[in-house]
Order: sequence, then structure tokens, then C-alpha cells
Amino acid sequence: MTAATSDSLLKKSTGRNTRGLLRLVILCTIAAAAVASRLFSVIRFESIIHEFDPWFNFRATKYLVANGFYDFWDWFDDRTWHPLGRVTGGTLYPGLMVTSGIIWHALRALTLPVDIRNICVLLAPGFSGLTAFATYLFTNEMTTSPSAGLLAAVFMGIAPGYISRSVAGSYDNEAIAIFLLVFTFYLWIKALKVGSVFWGALCALFYGYMVSAWGGYVFITNLIPLHVFVLVCMGRFSPRLYVSYTTWYAIGTLASMQIPFVGFLPIRSSEHMSALGVFGLLQLVGFVEFVRAAIPSKQFGTLLRGFVLLVFAISLFGLVTLTFAGVIAPWTGRFYSLWDTGYAKIHIPIIASVSEHQPTAWPAFFFDLNMLIWLFPAGVYLCFLKLNDEQVFVVVYSILASYFSGVMVRLMLTLTPVVCVSAALAMSYILDSYLTVKSPETPESVSSTADSSVSGNGSTASAKKAAKQEGGLRANRQPLVGIYTLFSKISVVSAMTAYLLIFVAHCTWVTSNAYSSPSVVLASRLPDGSQHIIDDYREAYQWLRQNTAEDAKIMSWWDYGYQIGGMADRPTLVDNNTWNNTHIATVGKAMSSKEEVSYPIMRQHEVDYVLVVFGGLLGYSGDDINKFLWMVRIAEGIWPDEVKERNFFTDRGEYAVDDRATQTMKDSLMYKMSYYNYNSLFPPGQATDRVRGVKMPEVGPVLNTVEEAFTSENWIIRIYKVKDLDNVGRDHASAASFERGNKKKKVTKRRGPKVLRVE
Amino acid sequence: MAPKRSNARESTPSTTATSQISTPAATSTPSVPVKSTPKSSSGNLSPQEVALSIWQNYLDTTPQRTKLIDVFMTFLVVVGALQFVYCVIAGNYPFNAFLSGFSATVGQFVLTASLRIQTNTENKAEFTSVSPERAFADYVFGSLILHFFCVNFIN
Amino acid sequence: MRWLLSFLFLGLLGVAQALSASGNRLLVVLEELDDKSKYSKYFGDLEGRGFQITYESPKSESVGLFTLGERAYEHLLILPSKSKGLGPNLTPKILLEFINKGGNILLTLSAITPTPTALVSLLLELDIHLPTERNALVVDHFNYDTLSASEKHDVVLLPRPDTIRPGVKNFFKGDGKGGEVIAFPRGVGQSLGNTSPLLTPVLRAPRTAYSYNPKDEAESLEDVFAAGPQLSLVTTMQARNSARFTVVGSAEMLEDGWFTGEVKRSVGMGGVGTDAKKVKTCNQAFAKEITGWAFQEIGVLKVGKIEHRLNEGVRSNITNPKIYRVKNDVEYSIELSEWSWDKWVPFTPVAEDVVQLEFSMLSPFHRLDLAASGTTTNSTVFTTSFKLPDQHGIFNFKVNYKRPFLTNVEEKNTVTVRHFAHDEYPRSWVISGAWPWIAGIAATITGWLGFVALWLWSKPVPLKLTTSGKKIQ
Repeated sequence: MTAATSDSLLKKSTGRNTRGLLRLVILCTIAAAAVASRLFSVIRFESIIHEFDPWFNFRATKYLVANGFYDFWDWFDDRTWHPLGRVTGGTLYPGLMVTSGIIWHALRALTLPVDIRNICVLLAPGFSGLTAFATYLFTNEMTTSPSAGLLAAVFMGIAPGYISRSVAGSYDNEAIAIFLLVFTFYLWIKALKVGSVFWGALCALFYGYMVSAWGGYVFITNLIPLHVFVLVCMGRFSPRLYVSYTTWYAIGTLASMQIPFVGFLPIRSSEHMSALGVFGLLQLVGFVEFVRAAIPSKQFGTLLRGFVLLVFAISLFGLVTLTFAGVIAPWTGRFYSLWDTGYAKIHIPIIASVSEHQPTAWPAFFFDLNMLIWLFPAGVYLCFLKLNDEQVFVVVYSILASYFSGVMVRLMLTLTPVVCVSAALAMSYILDSYLTVKSPETPESVSSTADSSVSGNGSTASAKKAAKQEGGLRANRQPLVGIYTLFSKISVVSAMTAYLLIFVAHCTWVTSNAYSSPSVVLASRLPDGSQHIIDDYREAYQWLRQNTAEDAKIMSWWDYGYQIGGMADRPTLVDNNTWNNTHIATVGKAMSSKEEVSYPIMRQHEVDYVLVVFGGLLGYSGDDINKFLWMVRIAEGIWPDEVKERNFFTDRGEYAVDDRATQTMKDSLMYKMSYYNYNSLFPPGQATDRVRGVKMPEVGPVLNTVEEAFTSENWIIRIYKVKDLDNVGRDHASAASFERGNKKKKVTKRRGPKVLRVE
Repeated sequence: MAPKRSNARESTPSTTATSQISTPAATSTPSVPVKSTPKSSSGNLSPQEVALSIWQNYLDTTPQRTKLIDVFMTFLVVVGALQFVYCVIAGNYPFNAFLSGFSATVGQFVLTASLRIQTNTENKAEFTSVSPERAFADYVFGSLILHFFCVNFIN
Repeated sequence: MRWLLSFLFLGLLGVAQALSASGNRLLVVLEELDDKSKYSKYFGDLEGRGFQITYESPKSESVGLFTLGERAYEHLLILPSKSKGLGPNLTPKILLEFINKGGNILLTLSAITPTPTALVSLLLELDIHLPTERNALVVDHFNYDTLSASEKHDVVLLPRPDTIRPGVKNFFKGDGKGGEVIAFPRGVGQSLGNTSPLLTPVLRAPRTAYSYNPKDEAESLEDVFAAGPQLSLVTTMQARNSARFTVVGSAEMLEDGWFTGEVKRSVGMGGVGTDAKKVKTCNQAFAKEITGWAFQEIGVLKVGKIEHRLNEGVRSNITNPKIYRVKNDVEYSIELSEWSWDKWVPFTPVAEDVVQLEFSMLSPFHRLDLAASGTTTNSTVFTTSFKLPDQHGIFNFKVNYKRPFLTNVEEKNTVTVRHFAHDEYPRSWVISGAWPWIAGIAATITGWLGFVALWLWSKPVPLKLTTSGKKIQ
């Protein structure tokens, strides 16, 4: 198929077959390389689900496989968000789970019973291979140079920006969504070029699949209309545009509404309004074109144009009115935070507290994309040079994605495909230009360096080989500019080769070092260089699983909700699906208040155990004390009178946990649970918190309403049991004091008048 | 959006007709057939006559299949307008039903419009790879998907 | 199998013998074992009701409330002792542990022998306060026994206690005819803290009584420990696990002498007792009631079957499902029995009181009165039915029936209330409002079918036309 579609350019039919075969082999190698480079984590650690969200997806998949699709659809999960429960079937994007469920059933039908966990772990690498292929197709639509597609496929296969979300075990929506994103774009370009209902409908179907898989579908929903809008503004309206866009919109919108979680959003929410608006605009423009074709006249044309503008203005006004009237949902907070990075921090701390939603640091671009980031503008410039409809798409896409990726770390993912495509365009342009003359040295140098490189970049080398072969044809069509001397050609080509090799090395390094840690299991290096696995999380979850009642409710900060649900199989109060801010704030309040305040909250929510993450002993910086301010802020958002962030800072504005810590800080349940008994590990006065790097106070905190139930090996996880009410009606402080052997002081003289009993 | 456009479409023949008086139809367009030229160039015609001439022109020059499409589109516009009017009057209580009913009509309309564009001989140059037969097959494919979604959505 | 049978047999034996709801092993702690002859009638009553009594001195090594971590006795009766402490086996901690494990304690005080500090601090934990003076006793210059305490006025005579408030069952009323007199000789009054909801005074001092230290030489009292009804003579505390702790202010009132003795009332306020005659005390009957309550022979509630089921027109046969749907109609029933001396009887709440059911998630969504719908030989079935709220979540059927003198009933049955499944919404053809749009879709589709059919059918004809059209161009 690949070979067949892209080979129509070739003149010689003899070379066609070999080239097609070669291209197929290259693509397969690229896919293999893409899969292989994502297996670091499985080899280093084990076949395990990573991080937080994947645990929920994994649990949901297990439910789907065990109970079938309809039960999954109607799934009411009573083990999360206790006691609210979660209408899981209606509040998730089912695409991922259904995909792995289908794969599982298919494999079983082929009498290959594979553990669903392994399917989940390996789904992301598998789809990354498909993404590489989709990128190849997409790039081929952009340019006539066949090498660009292969280069783009290679880039996409190993770019760390994409690998970061698709290593083995990272079983998240993005795992399949990026493939769907790229493939939908490919189908869109195809539909636009051909102007066919068929491609438009296919595009809409894949768009529907994308909607079912990832919330990021909104990106497509806005990008395609924007593309169309730009085209119309450039005066590039064509019947093809009308056909492809209206088909896509009519079917795609209906398809997206089939997903329960999306429902009426495409009609109601503001994010989808641009697509609707462009749909209307296209109808108008189409109609105008139709009329103009029938009855041509200058004045009439201007009249119509005025009419179009009028309708556009009226509908815009209507949209604004409807938004204010509340018929159309106003922009969501997440959306505002896309424009104003400071917005979330002030108004919606829950969004700002997610590390993925932080603005991207500049080094991250280079870290994730390496040399592609400077090839990227060149590629975009090349698109400007010969501006067709599809090139406009790349330009629009790159502008939009660049902006968004700067706002949110997470959206780096949507930028990666276009960067790969543009960079491949630029790179192939360079290579095509400089590999024209058949000089024996140049190919030699390329192939020799390619051979010496490791298996991971073998595909890169083959891609270049292909590029070289196409070079002769390509150069004839371009005006011959540049330096013809052999020296300059060799130098440029070898420089590019070196860059490519460095790129491959960088990607491998980043993948293996930065993105392959499951974060459930931590690795550290012992002094002798050997790897030491810190497995506190699983130790603690296993403890919960084996030592607590099956319906024991665990309270923890929401980060760990999915893991507790997945690994410990215990109900949790809040989890990573942060749909209920109030409930999270309740937990935040319980954590940040005094025991006397927290206890009734915990009783009301029937909490049995409280789990905190404490990194002080090991120097593990992602612990709850470091996240504590977010809990305070989120709680303050709901109860501004009871929880005040200011009270957690010292007079000098420091966030301190040692002697300088404020009384509010020291009284908070979180602080107490983190440092309870911590002194006992050290000689008197020597207790040190290795994360904050401070000496702890001599006397540790006292806990009355909860008792320590479990502390993991490295003290990362500490679990406390919530005490029952005192049997004889004392408050917990005095009961605990009695237990410690203190005698109650006899009140001999009471102050003021005696309080009498009324009954 | 769409219904407005549809209504506009309904009403435009008359507007075009009225505006026609001041500007006699130009003869430079290839789509305006030779036959009709003398009629329109004779100037000073009453609006009815202009409308009539355009209508006649349309009847004469449009292929039968395109006429068929136009009839179907008019039908869809009527159905869509009826639904929209009903929604405005009686409210949209089962919202999903309204959405699927209305969007089925709108979707069908745009698909049919696409078919009309694709099969129109004037646009031959635009659609090099889409033959009328292919266009029709695509159209059936798209419509079936559309109907499936609508019926599924109305539950 | 045999051991199972023997257990069954043992259980039967237990039922036959144990005349308290919780068991019949009773430990009596008294200093001199010879003293028990003073209480022979009282102990005789207890043994007659089936208690196995072990007598121990606090000083003895063998006294221990626990063997191998389990309670060795169900009940503990502490009689006054002269020693300051009760020894290492009866520390406040151990006594509290005994309560926490469900043991019942009946503690008697006496003004003659000062209360051991261990007990004072235990009482303090329970928010029961004793007078600071070690010899303080309750005197009443208006309601004393003229026969035995005409000088000291320290034998207080009281009527049977009234119900503490409406809606509370009164176990200490006797036959309710009135006129009975309880003698309370040389007792220690207690004052109760205000915070603990578990404390209930049974017998309160008359309005004219007060706590007085006879060693105090001062002419006038300045700081009275407590006076009038604030002074509780017999106090009960029922812990959250329904273990009972009872303080009887005067151990002497249980002695044989006061069981049979006769008293004559002094002249009281307004001259109520001017023509009082000699009457026999009702101490024996009152002691039986108070001991019976303390050792869980009365006022013990038991929950039998709890059933909740779907009841939408037809009663579902599936009882206690784990999951319901919002807006389901459900029926809830609970069986309650009450232990009355030697058997389980159907429980009926007193007038003005009602058993309630809460259907709650975080806070109650429903709080409904449960109506008695039937009785079996030893239990009453309380039922109600209602419609579940339109809110999904994890809910509890909760019966939280806590009344003074009755053991706590706290039953929680957790159920999940789910949302409508995708196929439980009304289909759109059921909703008449959707018909126009169904018609719209139908019209579109039939129109489309017709169009396609026409298109295919008209194929040959337009070919000509298009060619002709082309020709024209």
C-alpha cells in the first residue's frame, strides 16, 4: 500500500518495485526501532503499568475485559470518590480501553491468550509504530520528495517528545491518541486534496475515534476549522474545501456526540463553536459562489460580500449573547489558563497543581526535540515557499501548536508531530540539494557512518539511502543554487549526518534516562554503581491489600488515588480524575487542619486509613509536604475562612518545616503524620529532613486521633489508622493522654459559675 | 447556522430577481448558455419576467440529475425548516432527539450539496480524481454513516 | 463434627443458665471475704438469678480481669474497701480496658471508707466527679430517716426515680404505684460533667440534699460540692460498645439490714411527711433493678434480621442487594428484640419515641420513622418503604437508635446507588416530544432512499442530457 501510493511519481517502472519494497522495509525497520526504543522500562524494571493515570486505565480495562462492553458503559464505580462514587462509564474516554479490549479478544480468537496487563503495557509502543507510519503518509501529502516522509517517520518514531508519553507501561490516552491525531490530519489533507466525501467521512470516523480516546480532540476540532478559515480568508475557497469540510463536520460532530462523556458539548461548549461557525461560514461562501457563478456581476458580488459579512457579524453577536445567557457553556477554566498562564494559579489551583499543566521551560524544547527544534522553522519556511492548501495546514498547525506547547508541558505532545514533519521537510530539502551529483565519496561517507551506528539508527541510515537515491530526480526540478564543489557538498552532508547521529544518540539517552522510570518503582544508584530498586509504593499498597478490610476507605492526596485503586484495590476518597473540586478541597482541608477539625471530616467520610507520602528520610522530593501548599490553596478556595495559606508561612515568608515552622503548620495533620516518630530514627536532636535539608525540632509531633499503622521500608509511605470514637466518651486528646499514663488533673476550683446539668 | 442559510437559499431567487433589474445579466459567464442571452439582454423586463427567464434558463440548462438533486435539497430544506420551527415553538425537550433529527437533515443536505458540486460538470477541473460514479458511491457511503449515527443517537 | 455439637450443647447450656444477655460470670471484689455475709441477701438474689459469683480480695494475687487477653468475667462488682488503692490488678487502665472489652462494672461507694484513688481517677476519666473531701456524704435535713439518723440526717429517703425525660424508658419505677421509699444511707454523691452524653443519673438527690463533710468543723458551708438534683446518687454510664458502668453512691443500701429494715420519714418541705408511718424500704427491689440493669439483664436490645429489597409494585425476592438505582422504591425492615431478665421479648419503644431509619451519604437524605409491622415470638419487625433519592453514590441504611438505659443500636448497611444505565432511560419513541424529530429522521432517510432509487433509475436519461448540455457549452 505504501509503496503503491507513493510510487506514482517514479518514471521508471523497473525501479518502482525495488524502491517500493525498499521503502516498505525501511518503514518496518522504523516501526521496529520506534517500538524497541520504548522498551527500556520493561527491560530495566519489569512489565508494569507506570505512573498514575495509567493505573486507572488499566483497572478500567480489566473491568471491561471481565464484564463486557455494556457493563463497562454503565459502570458505576463505588470504589472511588467515596462516598460519591463515579459514573465511570460516562466520564471517561473509552477509546483506549476498548482498543485494548478488542486486541485482547482478537488475540484470544487467534488462540493467543495474552495477559491483559501485557497488552496494556505494550499498547503504547505498538501504536507508536503506527504513528510513524501515519507521519510518513502525512508528510508524503506535503511534498513530492519521498525521502521527507521516511525522515519524518524516523523523527516521529524516536523523538523524545513523543516517547515521553508512550514508553511501554505508559498506558495513557495519549498512547493511541497521537496516532489518531496524525492519521486524522492525514485523512483531512487527503480529503481536502481529493475533495471526496469518502475521505471526508473517513476523516470524520477517525476523528470520532480520536474523540473517544482523548480530551485533546479539541485541538483537531479547532485546528481544522482554523485551517479552513485561513484558506477562505486567503481567497482559496474551492468546492473541494466545501465538500471535505462539510462532510467532516456533519459526520464528525455526530460521531463525537456518540461518546457519552462528550454528549452535547459540540453544540453547547464554546470550544466547539469555531467549528460550527466555520461550517456556517462555508455554507455562506458556498452559496455566494453558487450565486455568483449563476449571475455574475460586480456590484452584485460586493452586495453579496456585504451580506456575508452581515450574517457573520449577526451570528457572532448571537453566539456572544447565547454564551452570556448560559445556553452555550462559557469557556472552561482550563481554556482560560491556555491564554493566561497565571489564571489557573489564582482561580483554579487544582488545575495549576498538576505538573503537566505548568508552562514549559525552554530547555524542555531542546530536551524533547533536540535538533528538530531548529530544523522546524526552516521546514515551515519551506512550506511558505510553495504555499498550497496542505502547506497552509502545516503553517497553521505549527503556529498554534508552538504557542500551546509553550503554555503547557503536556501540549508538547501535539507539537511533536508537526515539528517532525517540518524538520523532515527541511532535512530532506538539504539532503536532496546536496546529494545531487553522483560523486563516489558522498554516498560512501553516508553508508559507512550509517553502518557503524547502532541498531536504533539503522533505519535512519536506510532512510538517507533512500533520500540519496531520490536525490537525482529531485534536484532537476529545483533551480540549481548553492555551491557545486564537491567539498562543500561533502561537508554539508557529513555535518547533517553527524547531526542525525547525534540526534539518535540523544533520543536514546533521553529515553533511557528520563522517560523510562515507572515512578511506581524508584531506582537509585548505590555507591558501587549498581542499581538499587526502591519499592516502597508497592510494599505499602500490598500491605493495604492484605491487612485492611476490603471496603476500608483510604484517604490520601489525589495523586495516589488511582494507584491505591489499582494496586491496593481499596476505595479512595479522591483520585486523579479531578472532577470534583469540593471533594478534593475537603481532603485538603482535612490534611491541613488541626486534628480536632480533621477528625469529624474523616468520620463523616468514613475514612479508615490515611496515607501520606514522606520523602524526608530518603530525599525523595515528590512527597506530600512539598505538595502540601497545593492542598492548602485548594482548601482555601472553598473555605477561605478556615484555611489560610498565609498561616503556613513564617513571618519572613518562608515555607519551613523545622523549628521556624508556624504553629498552624505544626498543628496540621499532614505535618504531624509526616514527621510522627521521625525523631526516633535519629540520635536526639539529630533528626534531619533530607528533602528540605533542615534539622527537625527536638520534640516530634503528637498524634491523638490517628495511630500509625504502617510505615514502609524507606518511610516513603506512611499509613495511619483513624481511631474510633472513644468508648467512654472522652475526647481523643485526653484519652491518649490517659493512655500515656498522665493522670487527669482534678479540677478543684472551678472558675466562674458552675455549669449545671439540665437533666 | 444551516437553517438560516437554507432559508436564505429559499428566498434568494426573488432577491436575485429584483436586483437583476438594475444590472442586466452579464454575458461573459460560460455557464450562461447562448440560448438565453437574447432574452436577458433585451433589457427592461419586469421582475416576474426576469424570474421566469432565470427559471426557464435553469430548466433548460440543468441536467436532469442535478434537478433531481435540487428537488431533494429543497425537500431537505423544508424538512429542516419544519424541525427548526417546531423546536423554536415547542422547545427541544428530548435534546438528543432534536439534535439527531435536525442534524440528520442538515448533514444530508450538505452531503447532497457535495454530490451536486462533484457531479456538476463545471467543477470537473477541481475534482480530477472524482468521477460522478465515484462521487455517488462516496455519497452513499457518507450518508449511511450519517444515518447510522443519527439513529443511534436518537436511541 | 463432635466438637461442633458440643459447642452447640454448650451454647444451649449457656442460654439455659445465663440470665444476663452477656453472660453470667461475676467477680465481686471486697476487702474482707467475711464481709460478704453483710450482703447475703443481695448475693442470694444474684445467685438466684443465675450468676456465678467469684469473690476476691483486691489484695489477692489471683484477682485478674483477663486471662490470656480475654475477659475472665462479664461483670464486676466492686464493694468498698478501706485500702487506698486497689492493687496492681485493678488499676484504672485495666478497669477501662475491661469496659472497652464489653465488661460491665457496678461500683459502690461509701462515705465511711474513702474511695480508693484508683477509682477516683477512673471516675474522673468518665467525667464523674466525687467530692474532694474524702469523707463527704449526702445529708438532707428534710428527707431523712427519723429512726436511724435523727441526729445526723445522713440516711436520705427518696421515692422511686422519675423518668428523666419524656420518651425514655424507666426501668427503675418498680410497679409504678408510688409510695415506695428507697433508703440511701451514708452515701457519696457524685456530680456529673456536662460534656459526656453517655452519662445518665438514675437516682438524684432531693432538692434539699447536699454533700457535706462531717469532719468539717466550720459552722456554715461556703463551698458546697453539689446540692439538690445536681447531686447524683446512682449514676450510670453506658459506653459506646454498650458496656455498662454503674456507680451506686451508697454500698450500705445493698446490705441486708436495709433490704428489710423499716424507715420513718422526717417532716419535709411544706410538712409533707408529718403523718409519716413506718414503712419497709424497697431497697431490695431497687437493688435488683439497678443490678439487673448494670449487668445487662434488662434494657438490652438485639437486632435480628435486617432486610432491604426492591419493592416496585412487586416485592423483589432478592434481599439485601448490593446495588440499587436512583429513584428505586425500596423496602427496609429490621427486627428488634429486647432482653427482659430471662428471655427475648419483642421490643416496643415507649410512647413519644420511635425507631428511625436514615438513608444517608455524608448527611441523611431521608430520615424516616420505622413502623412496627409485625411481631414474632421474641421480636418486633419495624418496616418502612421509600423512594431512593435522585443522587448516586454510596449510601448507608442506618438505624442509629441510642436511648438512655437501652443498649446502642447502630446498624449500617452500605449499598451503592447507581445512575440510570444507558438502556434504562425512556426510549425516544416513548417520549411523545421526540416524535417530530423521529419523523424528521424518517423523512430524511426515506427521502434519501427515494432519491437514491430515482438517481439509479434515471441513470440512462440524464446521460443524454449532460452530453447535450456539454454540447451547448
